[in-house]
Amino acid sequence: MERKIGVYICECGPNIAEKVDIDKVIDAVSSIDGVVVAEKYKLLCSADGKKFLEEQIKKQGLTHLVISACSPKDHEKTFMEVCENAGINPYLFQLANIREQCAWITEDKDEATKKAIRLTKAAIKRVRYHASLEKKEIDSNPDVLVIGGGIAGIEASLQLVSPDRKIYLVEKTSSLGGLITNYEKTFPSMEPGSSIIKQKIQDLNNDENIKIFTDSEVEETIGFFGNFEVKVKKITDVEEAAEFDVGAVVLATGSTLFDPKKAPQYGYGKFDDVLTSLEFEKMNLSGGISLKNGKPPKSAAIIHCVGRNEKGYCSEICCMYSLKFVRYLKDKIPNIKVSNFYSDLCIPGKSHQKFYEQTKGNNVDFVRSSDVEVTKKGDKLDINYKNETGSKNNIPVDMVILAPAIEPTSDAPKLAEITSISQGDGGFFSEEHEKINPVSTSTEGVYIAGGAQGPKDIPKTIIQAEAAAGKILSSLIPGRKIEPEVKTSQISESLCIGCKLCLSVCSYGSITFDEAKKISVVNEVICRGCGNCVAACPSGAASVKHFTFNQLYQELMEAVQ
Amino acid sequence: MSKPEDSLKSKGAVISAKTGAKESIIDFLKKAMDKGVFDAVLISMRVPAGDSFAYVLIKDKSLLKDAFPLPPVMSVQGAKAVSSVTRLGKGNMKIAAVMRPCETRATVELAKLGQTNLENITLISIDCPGVLPISDFTGEPNKSMKLFDDAAKKWDDKIMRPVCQICDKSSMVAGDVHIGIHGAKKDTFFIISNSQKGNDVLDKLDITLKENIDSWNAKVKNISEEKQKKRKKTLKDLKSEVGGLDNLLDTFSQCINCHNCMKVCPICYCRVCYFDSDKVKHPPEDYLQRAKNKGSIRFLPDTTLFQTGRMLHMSLSCVSCGACEDVCPVSIPVAQIFSMIADETQGLFDYVSGRDLKESLPLLAYKEEELHEVEDAND
Repeated sequence: MERKIGVYICECGPNIAEKVDIDKVIDAVSSIDGVVVAEKYKLLCSADGKKFLEEQIKKQGLTHLVISACSPKDHEKTFMEVCENAGINPYLFQLANIREQCAWITEDKDEATKKAIRLTKAAIKRVRYHASLEKKEIDSNPDVLVIGGGIAGIEASLQLVSPDRKIYLVEKTSSLGGLITNYEKTFPSMEPGSSIIKQKIQDLNNDENIKIFTDSEVEETIGFFGNFEVKVKKITDVEEAAEFDVGAVVLATGSTLFDPKKAPQYGYGKFDDVLTSLEFEKMNLSGGISLKNGKPPKSAAIIHCVGRNEKGYCSEICCMYSLKFVRYLKDKIPNIKVSNFYSDLCIPGKSHQKFYEQTKGNNVDFVRSSDVEVTKKGDKLDINYKNETGSKNNIPVDMVILAPAIEPTSDAPKLAEITSISQGDGGFFSEEHEKINPVSTSTEGVYIAGGAQGPKDIPKTIIQAEAAAGKILSSLIPGRKIEPEVKTSQISESLCIGCKLCLSVCSYGSITFDEAKKISVVNEVICRGCGNCVAACPSGAASVKHFTFNQLYQELMEAVQ
Repeated sequence: MSKPEDSLKSKGAVISAKTGAKESIIDFLKKAMDKGVFDAVLISMRVPAGDSFAYVLIKDKSLLKDAFPLPPVMSVQGAKAVSSVTRLGKGNMKIAAVMRPCETRATVELAKLGQTNLENITLISIDCPGVLPISDFTGEPNKSMKLFDDAAKKWDDKIMRPVCQICDKSSMVAGDVHIGIHGAKKDTFFIISNSQKGNDVLDKLDITLKENIDSWNAKVKNISEEKQKKRKKTLKDLKSEVGGLDNLLDTFSQCINCHNCMKVCPICYCRVCYFDSDKVKHPPEDYLQRAKNKGSIRFLPDTTLFQTGRMLHMSLSCVSCGACEDVCPVSIPVAQIFSMIADETQGLFDYVSGRDLKESLPLLAYKEEELHEVEDAND
């Protein structure tokens, strides 16, 4: 087939035009074999620009399109759509980035122009070796599995449920609500915890499209985005199990507290009246704050950052709930003296500083300290510490409340394995990208929300739950087929020797081994085209479509010559 | 580089070898076949013409008498033979594979790479005196045979291949059973087990491992240390000859691109070598362009690319068996160069190829703390 390559160079307003001599680029490429037209345009991504391109493709009878403009991250998709609308395969197109990689990185117009010529020539060379790739469509199941019935799981379920989308909510304890059900009040509004959660739980129970499994665990999720097969087992009754299909999974398994016994200097488990924050919440909620002997405490110490050194991270929420604890204490026992021992007070947030200002004073101390140790002195607990100048001090108190670090729940490793996602710092589930994809994971269709992803307060937990729901709502639409990645890996049956190196480097579990043929096989629906297998394969049996050896080689040779 | 201690074992058995070591080893194998411990033996045999040796899978035990447990040449790397019969699965025969330590190690390496299945294989290695260069042997087989026998008896490696002369793993026990000749009293040899499978085999043959093998350990340690000294010196000299881009290009400029080294390499297990594939056959216009850009282009092109590319692909598993150097028609010291590189790449990961089946291939094992010295090199 005769190639008719069209080359269009975008001025990007003044962005490219001022730094690159576009006419020189056009001169340099217009006589290249196969190039039938080379032109410039003011702004190709504008409505007029797209219309111009579409008309050009049709008028010139182009078979391949090269555009020199901005980063593919910006407008590759835009121009691929133009190709589709004009009737050529969108993969017979290549975008050269002469804005971020030329115009914006130098003051030297000559240098920028030279590089723009190279990149444009390389794109022309590469596009010759492009192959048409066809989109695939597969049926998808719009239903969602939500693991964890705390605030994150509840919020995600409510956002997602609809008459045409069933939600399966799996909770390992006997009731829904999670940690929040222990909180009398929540900071900084001091609204009751129950007011946040009660109505939501009622809504869940009333929705016939939400199936709730309590005392249950997820045993298996096999499949891929749009098509997961799930097995759920009742913890309390091994015989009882359920199987169903979903299209996506939300992991909202929350967090738990670092065990303060691992930091014995705080006397937890050794002395009476040394409580963890959660024990204190429960005590407060169940009626009254009192010592083991039944009397109300006259003084209390709140020790922050318990386990921070062991865990190696700040747990974000402890300072704020510690302030809330001060309020609990002062509300119920107005004359109580409360001392906070902290190393850094972390109270970011638009309402939090005010909350702090209103809490301190009036027999409430904040002591910046280190080397805190709890001992027993007579019938009192004694807080020994070093102050900011390094001198040793001690304060006797009746009650000690510890603020232990937040860590993932103990079932996190098992769930990470079941869903093929990874665990990062501290054992929390890893997001695909901290900034770009904060609730997606390395497994497409598996999302994370709330404390399971990292220490989080209620508002942030709800934001993540809604974000995860949003991701699913926008990609898993009932009745609509899903389009798996087109640029997937392929493994040549005739070249594969079955050494399985690719299996161990695939992050998505998309390669399986055909025992009969003794070769590796890619599941193109799960494959995300990362190319790890290509790098591992010594025989070149693995390649990624649209990033074949030849395409890259040709582009590179042209760029560097 | 491995430590000399890597080879050492604690207990063994002393076997009488009145009829000579070779015959006694064959007797041992025959007995094992009689008792049904093995259904077949994979072992080297002299070809009918007498001018070379080949691996033969012997099912008829009367043929065992012509076997050569330690042939004077390595015309086929034994790991390739084991792979041929087990690459698609364990098969239905229990086979004893009698090979040199480097061949055993290559087999272990191939097992990690899914190219052999060792379930029904018992790997038997023997203290190795080295082998002659293949071309030396085929020229004058009978004379060479005698020279080899005399040299092997004295453990004199002067006529062996250069890479054998600097081999510090000639008694490394990597398989299931090892036959130790070093340090054994006259007319005896040691049998050493290195695995549960080895224990089971010897158990069935009523061989108990309760003898002291200190004399073997001492001799092996001694030889390894001596060879390591020699190795260090030889490789240092070699590095100065081939190190650096210019030397490297000079060294490999003799390469005629026959890819023989790759074809005989046990570790080069690919169905089609990447460097034989279409991926490196560029369109003619590319070569014209390269000539234009650089002023000229050599044909066939990319010989150094092949050598360094193959090195990159296999040096972490290279067992320094020397098969590549044996077949190089232009006498490039390929095995010595690859062995030198293998020492360094494997050393980076504290890995010794084929030492232990349980050791993961370095590039597949993720360790959070490693290779800091490489980071430092960039400072």
